[in-house]
Amino acid sequence: MTRAWPTLALAVLLVGLAFAQGPGEKLPTVDFAPVGKVQAKAGAPVNVELDFRIGSEFHINSNKPHSELLIPTTLKLSATAPVTLVGVKYPAGQDMSFPFAPDEKLSVYSGDFAITATVKAPAKARNGEYPVAGELHFQACDRSACYPPRSIPVKFSVTVANK
Amino acid sequence: MLAVGKYLNRIHGHSPSKMVGDVRGVAAPNFDLATLDGHRVKLSDYRGKAVLLNFWATWCSPCKVEMPWFVELQKKYGSDGLVILGIAMDDSDAPKIAQFASEMGVNYPVLLGTDKVSEQYGNVEFLPTSFYIDREGKIIGKGTGLLGRGEIEDNVRKALASPVAGMKQAQTPTTTPRAQTAAQ
Repeated sequence: MTRAWPTLALAVLLVGLAFAQGPGEKLPTVDFAPVGKVQAKAGAPVNVELDFRIGSEFHINSNKPHSELLIPTTLKLSATAPVTLVGVKYPAGQDMSFPFAPDEKLSVYSGDFAITATVKAPAKARNGEYPVAGELHFQACDRSACYPPRSIPVKFSVTVANK
Repeated sequence: MLAVGKYLNRIHGHSPSKMVGDVRGVAAPNFDLATLDGHRVKLSDYRGKAVLLNFWATWCSPCKVEMPWFVELQKKYGSDGLVILGIAMDDSDAPKIAQFASEMGVNYPVLLGTDKVSEQYGNVEFLPTSFYIDREGKIIGKGTGLLGRGEIEDNVRKALASPVAGMKQAQTPTTTPRAQTAAQ
């Protein structure tokens, strides 16, 4: 049985190479995971973790790419009054090199990443559920091509309770 | 701000394409685009020449790898009748694109891309994408994503090798393009 593993590994590798993705065979995806219930005490800020998943074999620029020519990933949100958006915190990008520029490090996100949004309701806010909505803007590439910038919707609700 | 933004956001909707699959042998669609300095350029201005049509953008890192190769190829084969046309699919304004092209030493015309030209060429879904057009105005090859320099040069040679209908090979261009190069 142990002897079979190298053969199996080679077969898997060959199959993988045979089906290796060429540009345009698959379009890049970034999926937003639904946010659970967000509860905020009136007057106190609350952090909301927003989780995203980038399709395999793709990467997107981080919020702080190393070149001003590259399009950063940005999250724009609008909160429904009385809830306000206090801030957005982006994760640091991974410095990675790619076959198209092996000597250059790009700051990117790949796989799963999370952005933290901080929201707050004033102390005298009425109890209730208030939507927060916006979009994530990003520009994706794979190992040999880049795809036009896109935006995906992002939304969640904040339930405010005075007590 | 160019009108390309609408295209960039819409492209994933896969609107109907006029050119899909193998485009070899298809007549290259004519276009009328602005250069970085406001002139107008038509593909038909270059009839009789071999054209490398390269869709790119300043935000496309793989595109940057190809550009020095295009500069070399333009120098090497320009006198043989090669014309490289860069079509910038940026949302950036012309001066920013011009600055980038100048920094890259681009020695061939850079045109401002539009929705229409993308649609004419089958909805360019990713960059870089290049079309190789022979002297008769037919597409003889398409390169998607970053190719090797050798592969690009092979396609250029094939485009140059094509004779103009009714004329002997390696004839001189019949028109004088008015395009200004980005480096000017």
